Amino acid sequence: MSEMWINMGPQHPMTHGLWNLRVQIDGELILDVDPEMGYLHRGIEKISEDRHYNEVVTLMDRTCYVAGMAWEHLYILGAEQALHLQPPERAEYIRTMSEEFQRIASHIMWYAAFVQDLGLMSPFLYGMRDRDLLLDLFQSYTGARMTYEYMRVGGVRNDLPHGFTDRARKVLDWLIERFQEYDQLCMGSDIFRRRCDGLGVLSARDCIDYGVTGPMLRSAGVARDLRKDRPYSAYDRVDFDVARATTADVTGRYLVRMEEMRQSVRILRQVLDWLDHHPGPVMAENLPRWLGAPYAPIGREGYLLKREYPKGVGFAAIEEPHGEAAVYVVNQGGEHPYRVKFRSPVYVNLSAARKYLVGYHVADIPPIMGSVDVCVGESDR
Amino acid sequence: MSASLYSVAHSLVAIVLTAIGSVLPSPLRQGITNAGLITALGVIVFAAILLIASMLNTIVLIWFERKLLGRFMDRRGAMHVGFAGLLQNFADGLKLMRKNTFRPDEADGLGFYLGPTAYMVTSLILFGILPVSTGWNSGVLPLSLLLALVVFSFAPLFIFISAWSSNNKYSLMGGMRSAAQMIAYEVPLLLSVVAVVVVSGSFDLNTIVAQQQNYWYWGPLFLALLVFVAAMLAEMERIPFDLPEAEAELVEGWNTEYGGMLFAFFMLSDYVRALVGSFLVVLLFLGGWTMPSWVPSAATSFPLAGIVWFMVKVYVVFAVFVWIRASLPRVRTDQLLRVGWNRMIPLALLSVVLAAGVVMVKCLPIFGCLPNLGI
Repeated sequence: MSEMWINMGPQHPMTHGLWNLRVQIDGELILDVDPEMGYLHRGIEKISEDRHYNEVVTLMDRTCYVAGMAWEHLYILGAEQALHLQPPERAEYIRTMSEEFQRIASHIMWYAAFVQDLGLMSPFLYGMRDRDLLLDLFQSYTGARMTYEYMRVGGVRNDLPHGFTDRARKVLDWLIERFQEYDQLCMGSDIFRRRCDGLGVLSARDCIDYGVTGPMLRSAGVARDLRKDRPYSAYDRVDFDVARATTADVTGRYLVRMEEMRQSVRILRQVLDWLDHHPGPVMAENLPRWLGAPYAPIGREGYLLKREYPKGVGFAAIEEPHGEAAVYVVNQGGEHPYRVKFRSPVYVNLSAARKYLVGYHVADIPPIMGSVDVCVGESDR
Repeated sequence: MSASLYSVAHSLVAIVLTAIGSVLPSPLRQGITNAGLITALGVIVFAAILLIASMLNTIVLIWFERKLLGRFMDRRGAMHVGFAGLLQNFADGLKLMRKNTFRPDEADGLGFYLGPTAYMVTSLILFGILPVSTGWNSGVLPLSLLLALVVFSFAPLFIFISAWSSNNKYSLMGGMRSAAQMIAYEVPLLLSVVAVVVVSGSFDLNTIVAQQQNYWYWGPLFLALLVFVAAMLAEMERIPFDLPEAEAELVEGWNTEYGGMLFAFFMLSDYVRALVGSFLVVLLFLGGWTMPSWVPSAATSFPLAGIVWFMVKVYVVFAVFVWIRASLPRVRTDQLLRVGWNRMIPLALLSVVLAAGVVMVKCLPIFGCLPNLGI
C-alpha cells in the first residue's frame, strides 16, 4: 500500500470525545501524525468573565466531565487567592477528600475506556460498575453524580451527611479488592503485556521539553507530583507516596495510575479519620455578602450594587487526574473575575502526540492514546 | 435416528403430491407424482427446513452469547423483549431490515453487493455439508470434511472484495488484515485437521465420528485440538483475533460502509460461522453425536437423541469461545502472524506426528484401542 492520510476523528471510537487525529500511514506503519483539537471549544474562559465568582464553578464541572471536582477545586483555589479569602480547615479536608475520590473515579473511567480499546469488554463494565459506587458517594453529599457545583469561594456548599465516612470506608475496602482484580485481568494477561510493553515511549527529557505532566511524566521516572511538590489544601498533612514507573511506555502509565488509585485510598483513609474527629464550619465567616454563601443569602440588591473589593490576582496549580492543571484569576474589584486562564494538562499531553506515536503501528494507536487519558472537554475548554 | 432429514423431506413431498394428485384428473396426476419432480421438490423442502432450522439456531446462539457475555460482565444481557430477552435478536433483525441500504457514491456496485451476499451464502452452504446426527448425509459426501474446510475458507476472499469495493480506507485496511490473517491461520488449521484424518483414516465426517466410538479424539490429539481451536477463533474473527474489524482503530473494519440488511448479512454470517466452527470442533474432537458408554442408555436412546447431544456439545464449545471473548484483549496483526507461523505451524506438525504415533500403537493405555471399521 502506498502512503495515505487517514482521519481518526472527529467521530471515531478511538478519540473518546471530539477531536481529530490525522495519521499518515504506510500499510500499518505510522509515518506522521497531526492532532487537531478545538472541536469542543465552548469559550469557558471567556464565559467566566461574565459570571459571579461562584457561578464559574458550574462551568468547571463541564470543563472535564469525568474530573469535575478536581477542576472546581482548582478554580476555587485560584479565586480564593484573588479574593484574599481563607477557607476553614474542615473545608480544606473535604476538598482534599473530594479531589481524591474524583481521582479514583477518573482513573477507573480511564481504565474502563483503555481496556475497551484493547478489545477487553468485561473489565470495561467492571470499571463502570465500581465507578458507580463513587458516583453514589458524590450524590450522597453533593446531590449530583457528575456536575456537582459543590465548592464555593470560601469553603464548600454543605457539610457531609451523617454516616458518610463509614459508607465511604466501605467503598474503599471494596475498591482495594477490585484493583487487585483489575491487575490480574491486565498485567496477568500475556496478550495485554504484548500489546502494551514498549509502546508510546516518551522519555523524561521529552516529557519535560514538551511540558507533558501527570502519569505520563511519572511513568518516565520523574517523581513530580504537585500534591507533594507544591502542597495545597490538606495535602501537606497527609501521608502518601508518589507513584512512579521507569519504563515510560503504556504499561508504565497503567502501573502509575493503578498505584495512584491505591495511594488515593491511603490518603482518603487518613482524611476520613480526620473528618470524623474534627467537626466545624465548612464556610469562611468573613465572606462578602455578594458571594452568595449559604450563610448570607444573596438578595436582589446584591447584584445591583457596584462594590469595591480589594483587587488581586490568584494563581493555583493542582495535580489533576490527567496532569498538572493551573489557573490564573485576575480580580479587578468587580463582582466578576476580570480574567480567568486555565492550563489544561491534556492539551499539552496531546500536542506531543507526534513524539510518541510515529514509528508504531496503526493498531497501537488506541492503547497509546488511551494511555494518555484524553479528556476533550478539558483540552478544548 | 437412521432416517436422514433429506429422506424425511422427500417422503413429506411424496405424501403431499400424492394427496394433491388423487383429486386431479389422471394426466395431471401422472405429471405431478413424477419421481423427478418429487426429488427436486424434496431437495428444495430439505433446504428450506435446513435453512430455517439453522437460522433459528444461529439466532438462539446470538442470544446465548449475549446472555453469557452479560453474566461474565456482571450484568444480565438482553432482558426485555420476550422471555429473558429471547426475542431481542428478532427485534434487532427487524430493525435492520427496515433500514435503508446505503451505498457510497464511489463504491463499486458489483463488489459492494456481491461481497456480503457471497459471504452469507458460503456460510450457509456449510449447514448442508456438516452432519449433525447418524446418517445425516452418509455416503453422499465422502470428502465432506475437505469440502467444509474449503467452503469455510472462502470468506476472507469475499471480505476482501467487499472491503476493496467499499472505497473506504478503514475498510481497505480491514480487508488487508483479513487477508493477512488468512495466511497466518489457514495452514495450521489444515495441518491440525490432518492429524484427525490420519487417526480416523477418512475425510468423511460420518466416518470420523464413527471412529470415535471408543474414545473421543480430544484426549490423544489434545495438541491438534488446541491448534484447531486457536485457528478456528481466527477463522471466525472473534476476539482475540478480531483484528480485521478492530473497532478501536478501524471503526468497524471491512464492514464500515455497510448498513441495514447488508450489515445484518455480515453479522448473521459471523454467527453462522461461529456455529459451524463449534460444529467442526464437536465433530472432529468431541465425538459428534455419540456419547461414551458409561452414559445410561435411557439418556442416549430417546428420539432425536443424537441431535440433542450434538447441540449440547456445540453450545458447550461455543460457551468456551464466549468465555475467551470475555477475558482476552485482541492481538496485533504482526503478533498474529508471528504466532501463526512460529508457534502454531510447528505445533500442528508435531500433532500430526503424534497422530501417526497413535495409529502406529493402535491401543493407548487410558483411552483404549482404535476401532477397526475396515477402512
